[in-house]
Amino acid sequence: MIEIIFITVITLVIFFFPKIGLFFRWKVLQEKTERILIEDALKHLYDCEDKKVDCTLKSLAGALSLSDEKILHLIAQLETMQLVFTKENTFHLTSEGRSYALRIIRIHRLWERYLADSTGVQEIEWHTQAEKREHQLSIEEAERLAKEMGNPIVDPHGDPIPTVSGEIPKKKGMVLTEVKEKETVQIIHIEDEPKTVYAQLIAQGLHPEMQITIIENSPERIRFEANGEECILAPIFANNISVIPIPEEKIQRTFKTLAAISLGEKAKILGIAKSCRGSQRRRLMDFGITPGTIIEAEFQSAGGDPIAYNVRGALVALRKKQAEQIYIEDELKTEERMSDIVSKKRH
Amino acid sequence: MSDITITMNTTTTQCETCPSHNKANLIKLGIDMSEFDFVVALAGNPNTGKSTVFNNLTGLRQHTGNWPGKTVTRAEGGFSYNEKKYKIVDLPGTYSLLSTSTDEEVARNFILFGQPDVTVVVVDSTRLERNLNLVLQILEITERVVICLNLIDEARRNHIIIDERTLSRELGVPVIPASARVGTGVPELLHFIDAVATGKYVCRPHRLSKYTKQLTRAIEKLSKKIAIQFPTLPNTRWVAMRLLEGDQRIMDAMQNGELENLLR
Amino acid sequence: MKTEKENTVKEILSTAHSLRWEIGENVHDSLIESIYNDASRIANTVVRKDEKKSQFNLDRTIDKIVTSRWLGFPLMFFLLAIVFWLTVEGANVPSGLLASLLIDTLHPILKNFAETLHTPWWLSGVLLDGAYLAMAWVVSVMLPPMAIFFPLFTLLEDFGYLPRVAFNMDNLFRKAGAHGKQALTMSMGFGCNAAGVIAARIIDSPRERLIAIITNNFSLCNGRWPTQILVATIFIGSAAPAYLAGVISAAAVVGIAVLGIALSLIVSWWLSKTILKGEASAFSLELPPYRPPRILQTLYTSLIDRTIFVLWRAIIFAVPAGIIIWLVGNIYIGNLSLAEHFVQWSNPFGIFLGLNGVILLAYIIAIPANEIVIPTILMLTVMVIGATDVGAGAGVMFELDSPSEVAKVLHAGGWTLLTGINLMLFSLLHNPCSTTIFTIYKETRSWKWTAVATFLPIVMGFAVCFVTAQLWKLFI
Repeated sequence: MIEIIFITVITLVIFFFPKIGLFFRWKVLQEKTERILIEDALKHLYDCEDKKVDCTLKSLAGALSLSDEKILHLIAQLETMQLVFTKENTFHLTSEGRSYALRIIRIHRLWERYLADSTGVQEIEWHTQAEKREHQLSIEEAERLAKEMGNPIVDPHGDPIPTVSGEIPKKKGMVLTEVKEKETVQIIHIEDEPKTVYAQLIAQGLHPEMQITIIENSPERIRFEANGEECILAPIFANNISVIPIPEEKIQRTFKTLAAISLGEKAKILGIAKSCRGSQRRRLMDFGITPGTIIEAEFQSAGGDPIAYNVRGALVALRKKQAEQIYIEDELKTEERMSDIVSKKRH
Repeated sequence: MSDITITMNTTTTQCETCPSHNKANLIKLGIDMSEFDFVVALAGNPNTGKSTVFNNLTGLRQHTGNWPGKTVTRAEGGFSYNEKKYKIVDLPGTYSLLSTSTDEEVARNFILFGQPDVTVVVVDSTRLERNLNLVLQILEITERVVICLNLIDEARRNHIIIDERTLSRELGVPVIPASARVGTGVPELLHFIDAVATGKYVCRPHRLSKYTKQLTRAIEKLSKKIAIQFPTLPNTRWVAMRLLEGDQRIMDAMQNGELENLLR
Repeated sequence: MKTEKENTVKEILSTAHSLRWEIGENVHDSLIESIYNDASRIANTVVRKDEKKSQFNLDRTIDKIVTSRWLGFPLMFFLLAIVFWLTVEGANVPSGLLASLLIDTLHPILKNFAETLHTPWWLSGVLLDGAYLAMAWVVSVMLPPMAIFFPLFTLLEDFGYLPRVAFNMDNLFRKAGAHGKQALTMSMGFGCNAAGVIAARIIDSPRERLIAIITNNFSLCNGRWPTQILVATIFIGSAAPAYLAGVISAAAVVGIAVLGIALSLIVSWWLSKTILKGEASAFSLELPPYRPPRILQTLYTSLIDRTIFVLWRAIIFAVPAGIIIWLVGNIYIGNLSLAEHFVQWSNPFGIFLGLNGVILLAYIIAIPANEIVIPTILMLTVMVIGATDVGAGAGVMFELDSPSEVAKVLHAGGWTLLTGINLMLFSLLHNPCSTTIFTIYKETRSWKWTAVATFLPIVMGFAVCFVTAQLWKLFI
């Protein structure tokens, strides 16, 4: 008898102990999933607003992968919270709803920036991890993070990070499919959703700030040159890339990296690839690896890699992987261009 | 408002031998200044013989190794010269003051907020160009700088000749060729530390001017606004630059008035 | 007035923010670029280089040799071998002198003195047989090798050779997800793991630095070499034909050290792929010019900065351990001392791992320094087998003059060839000494990484010993 009472008491304590009891944990979990749904719905609404498309029951059900019934329930809840209103079967954000959505987006993009600059997490995982973190991080934690990082203004995909007060600049640029043939443009943004498309795009080595020249633009495919290599994308993929035109004088015609020069050769640096980020990028620049610098490959290590380079009178060892991220001027190509001009003049 | 600041300014410049350091901030940074008249900060790239200069000035045998980050605990020492007592603080060896590592933040905050009476920058003569990066950055945030052109004998051995007079003119601060390993140049270094600390030598530091077009426009716009609010700030362009980089420490200093207190 | 000022500051900050959106995120890049443009202009006006007599001829010649494909590695091994040989050979005599002074001479004098003062036996036991003896042991075994090893290492560092070692080794360490400079922290670890952990400061990338700290324990430190040599001589050397005994036992010790290096590379690789995957990683290595080392100053400073520093930490941990060692040998519950209780209780587990209870207890109570493991083992073995003709009494560590005498004691304690082999493995693979654990905490400021660095090797040690024991039973 006593045992039974004892066991019952213990069970009750395990379940209902304040805050850490199983019941309360379950409740918190429940609330959390509810919160996640609300926040994801708001994000989807904001996305629709941003892309100027209608947000309907169907699109919301697709984005959140929930049944229509559940979505209706969710919408009703959002309406009572005065975050959303319905107009002619489409859903719209109220101003509170918009600022809530922007807050979540701010945390999401801050976290992506943090992952890109201050950790070794692979690019493909940034978005997924940020999708989780955006619901967990409090505003205070996010602000502390922003301050530590020097208040970044764009995320690693090139998207602007909304300010604390919810300001965000207007979207610039056009999608890649809108660019004419033979034009050179600069990537300003790569959409990170859906994940499979994004994975494909980064596998091609595409990054914001990269210059690309369109070779062919047809309904079947977009063919373009990036980093001296030819890439082919289906329009559905190319639609996820936003670009801006670049002025003629800024176009870099040829791309060659430091890894291509042999020992004893000199090269003039054009810049460091965008894929080299955070402390690694800063360290290279501290060593004086800046555009216009003359760099000379002096000798290699007994293992072959790294190689010691003479940069502004100092000897700096760079691994092959780093050298591949440093663009240099291709002198051969410059000569070719000169002869081109000469031959044109003759004609 | 502006009248008051101007009069304050003249009174401070009248006292030429007054120390310029910010005592409250130094105490916050953990420096005990009770027995010293002046504070000297020692900065420089890794591998420049900074610790040898430190030893030469203090007589203390402080050994820091060949790589950055070795001196994690900040070394401090003292010396007297011309009947004045100097405290010298060895900052971590860094390539820059702008990146985000702890070492660089420690060095930057000490020079900016501690306002040492003199900052000695130890420079490797054989790798001058690379070392000038740090020198130019330091000249942006403090006026009282002495450059110690260390390892000058090594440079000569390698047929590198440096015109230190022109360098001094370009940078607007004293430049002293030295070889701390054998002790040459140390008396001259002491002489100029004293001259700069007591205000006998007035530095006119080199300031960055050529930025990219877009950046120049942004800096101009912002620095004008800053100059109106903080009329006595010696280098508003630099503050503007920091704001454009999103430097939280400077934003805080602007909001809580710390930036104004730095004015002399 | 105040709010007016606050408002203007706010306005400045918001202007800054909108300007940042206009100019994009390349502010830092263009700032550094403009600084370097000025730097290069100034350098061009003030620096005159004699182009005919090209600069750094001597430096480049040395570099060509020390980084050459054929000579680079042999030269490196040769130099390291010289450093180790000088350390081991040079330390023998002063170690012996210190031991005879502190342990054989001073200890009896102190004991007699305590007796004349009528100090209670337990007090003189705790203080002199426990605390003093542990300290004396650590000083005499640790001080001489470190006082030779560290200055030699610092000389190579001052000369500028060590960055070249990092440069040469980087290819290998890169493949293991680590930094070339880890070659240096590892070499430093052969002198002392605590010093190796401190040396990891030279690695400025967070992930690679943690890897170097966590794996440093796989470098067989100074304190473990004597254990290895003694056990190899007694068990492995004696199992071989007499004329080969010396060579075989030496080969066994070197084999253990090489195993340590291999494991540290494998564990580095594993760490970089798993638990340290998310830490930021960056590579930077500057090769400074060669400079003639300043011998006297180096001797002085490395003695002060490294040797005395590490020794002091070791002594601080050795004293309480000495007290505990004495107490477990002298506090009785029933007929048996605490030590005997523990040994009896843990013996089955020890045997299961191919070790024994004495070894397990010795590694627990001798955690401050690997140097006192052998004396502790001897003391405990004598106590457990109840021998009265050797040793200096309960809780008093001692050492014997020749390996054959040690062998007699250990064989009496039931040791086999398997116990010997497993002790050698366990000596390589167990938790770092408490000085090193403390240093790891000081350097990482994280209990998590300290725990990983502490428990990872001991788990590996148990696993390796267990597997060896099972294989042994299967085949022999």
